[in-house]
Amino acid sequence: MKSKRPLPVLWILVIVGLAVLPFVTPGTYVIGVMCFVAFYATLACGMAVLLEQAGLFSLAAPTFFGLGAYVAGILAAREILPPWAGIIVAAVVVAAIAYVIGAPLLRLRGYYLACATFGLLFIVEIALAQSGEITGGHDGLIGIPPLSVFGFTLRGDLHYYFVSWGFCLGCLWFFFNLMSSRVGRAVRALHDSEIAASTVSINVARCKLHVFVLTAVMASVAGSLYCFYLQFTTPSMFGFPLLVELFTMIVIGGATTLYGPVLGAVVLIWLREAIHVYLKGILPKLTAEVDAVFFGVLIVAILIFMPEGLAGGLDRLAHFGRRLLGKSA
Amino acid sequence: MTLLSETVQYAISGITAGSIYAVIGICWSAVYLITKVLNFTTGEFVMLGGMLTWAFHSMGFGLLPSVLFAVTCTIAISMLLERLVIRPIRFPTEMTYMMLTIASASVIKGLVLLQWGSESRRIEPFFGTAVIHVLGAGVTPQVLCVVAMMALITLGLHLFLNHTLFGTALRASAINQTGAKLVGIDIGRFRLFCFGLAGGLGAVTGIVTAPITFTGYEIGLLTGLKGLVAAIAGGWSMTGTVAAALALGLLEGFGAGFVSSGLKDVFALLVMILFLILQTISLPGMRRR
Amino acid sequence: MASQPDSVLLDVQNLSRSFAGIHALNVVSFSVEPGRITSVIGPNGAGKSTLINVITGVYTPDSGGISFAGKNIAALPAHVVASKGIARTFQLEELFSSMTVIENAMTGCHGKSRSGMLACGFALPSARREEKRIHDEAMECLTMVGLEEKASEPISRLPLGERKLVGIARALCMKPSFLMLDEPAGGLAGHEVERLVGLIHSLLEQGLTILLVEHNMPFVMSLSEKIVVLDAGVKIAEGPPETVKNDERVIKAYLGQEL
Repeated sequence: MKSKRPLPVLWILVIVGLAVLPFVTPGTYVIGVMCFVAFYATLACGMAVLLEQAGLFSLAAPTFFGLGAYVAGILAAREILPPWAGIIVAAVVVAAIAYVIGAPLLRLRGYYLACATFGLLFIVEIALAQSGEITGGHDGLIGIPPLSVFGFTLRGDLHYYFVSWGFCLGCLWFFFNLMSSRVGRAVRALHDSEIAASTVSINVARCKLHVFVLTAVMASVAGSLYCFYLQFTTPSMFGFPLLVELFTMIVIGGATTLYGPVLGAVVLIWLREAIHVYLKGILPKLTAEVDAVFFGVLIVAILIFMPEGLAGGLDRLAHFGRRLLGKSA
Repeated sequence: MTLLSETVQYAISGITAGSIYAVIGICWSAVYLITKVLNFTTGEFVMLGGMLTWAFHSMGFGLLPSVLFAVTCTIAISMLLERLVIRPIRFPTEMTYMMLTIASASVIKGLVLLQWGSESRRIEPFFGTAVIHVLGAGVTPQVLCVVAMMALITLGLHLFLNHTLFGTALRASAINQTGAKLVGIDIGRFRLFCFGLAGGLGAVTGIVTAPITFTGYEIGLLTGLKGLVAAIAGGWSMTGTVAAALALGLLEGFGAGFVSSGLKDVFALLVMILFLILQTISLPGMRRR
Repeated sequence: MASQPDSVLLDVQNLSRSFAGIHALNVVSFSVEPGRITSVIGPNGAGKSTLINVITGVYTPDSGGISFAGKNIAALPAHVVASKGIARTFQLEELFSSMTVIENAMTGCHGKSRSGMLACGFALPSARREEKRIHDEAMECLTMVGLEEKASEPISRLPLGERKLVGIARALCMKPSFLMLDEPAGGLAGHEVERLVGLIHSLLEQGLTILLVEHNMPFVMSLSEKIVVLDAGVKIAEGPPETVKNDERVIKAYLGQEL
């Protein structure tokens, strides 16, 4: 597991690249797709931190994403609160939920935590679909107004592009700081040896809970921004297909680094676009479920042949390059 | 309907559902105990049983041949899963297996969707549609078929595991793999067998329930998950799984009938989560750490 | 860490713990004087590692008491016990395999530092200052065990002897008043054992109290001031090395093994 910070040069390259992208691509198609990439990348990143750094098999990311979207969406659609306040309230609500269910859930080891959070995924999806009056049921919540901050209303792909990538990179920066700090070592210790961790006075249960709530809040904010971008949500957007997509991103990009899932998100979503464009003629019934076939095969293939994902491969390339140039690792 | 007949009706549907979950739970255990893989594709085997039978039948084959083809295909798919997906992993971790089986479930689901669309499909009941009345509630022969199937399977498995050499060897491998290998047991073949068994049993379950509950590409996940609940609650033992499954089915039946049918799936999942959590809380007489 | 020689730092009273009916510890009592080195020896299965695990809070005792510096610690969870100044090493290392040598040592400083999740995540100056302090302290501990050259190596690259030293460095970073070493000499070559003996002596000179659990007889005999002997969970002897060496029950427990 690497939590070494990437060179500042790389950060600058990425930020400049992203900032410049809208101006070199015509229309908003590319920018629109990149918005999705940013949202999913944030989710995948948080999920990978839980899975790989903390060793917690939590599949709860789509659930918190959906809850963040729905709470903020409902508050804004019913004009109870302005969107920006909705984001905050949703984050607080999700944090509270994560705190309350996290404490008992995180006592489950390995597989059982995965099963429980998997079940949670369905429970929330069904509950959302069944609560027609509040949530709009199966057909979803519509009429969500766009986000406005300090009087400036964010409309259209371009605005949300900057917001979503700003948030994604912000979360990534936060994680880089965190994982190479005292708290980050505690989190990584959870994965390596809980017994040894408690021996150096790390409160294992509390550490797990904190990192769980942290990723839940991140997912929630991402979800709230997502619903303001789309201006509608449906329960099925936050269920099993999303989980498979997140898995695929994590597997493609590699979970051992923090930027891997982001890479995976970029690759995956563009791959999906490419598939849709080229195969539209042959397979007219393309839905998320059908995408899942490609993603499923991809997951299996990568796990068998390249288990560290792209980032793992890149890392090894970089290591090789450094040795070639005579510098020490 | 009177309250009594309502209760009996819900109980009947509960026992039917419980029987299904019991067999599915056994499918989960069969794979987990030998290979330590939580096979999230189990639910898809159930779905495949029903869907493939419908598919072959609508191609013109008789009901019985369709059933046989469907079961064989599902067993083959399950074994392929073990060989092509599970086996080749060089450094398996629990998370890897989880992702792999979830991915495979996704692939199967998607392929079925692609091939046969998203509508629910139906197979005719095997023994006709005459309704027998018990205490004011209606029981169809198909329901009896489901319960009978569950009883047969559990009995058959019990005999197989305890009274045949192969079965005993299987149990040994589940308890201690290294020891089993040392006495010459080929674990690889056993793993294949268990996957195949899970595939076959799952398919059969899907087939006998299809006339009652319809079948479609999406039923696999939830049904499979409830089977998992039964297996976990039953402590992975056969009697435990059956008991837990029946209890779960009854809970669902009464919940759906008396409370709300939309939320019936939620009950099973809440039970699973509660059960998992309660397991970690120390019971009196048990050591805390 | 000044202390009166005739007071007691750790007092174990009638400690019992069983697993599935087997008495791993059966009414064990002894005490550890501050600033001294006490050893616990015994044949395999005597309950030595269980003893450490119970004292540090990994397991709860079935009955009996443990008091440290006058306070009862028997029912406390492991991380609380650690924060009271009790450090330990593990027989099977239990190092953090995803981290480098210095990162492992730095985890030892966890209890004495306070930067929270938000401070670390946002890289606040207070967190950064504390990180620097932790880094420096960890380097000191690594220097004490002689591993400062290998600070940035991943753990997996180190041989067994050095990995054990990392475990000790990690424990030292906790600035403990009481250090328990669980079979530190296990698997070490001759010169590594000598280095370990030197290290232990220097730790004692600094006033650290040490509890040593060991198998290696010459090692134990040369270092210890007091030895407690366990056999099948029961204490069968206690006293200075000479007395214990010649105790009949001890000799019998080791079945003729030369002391």
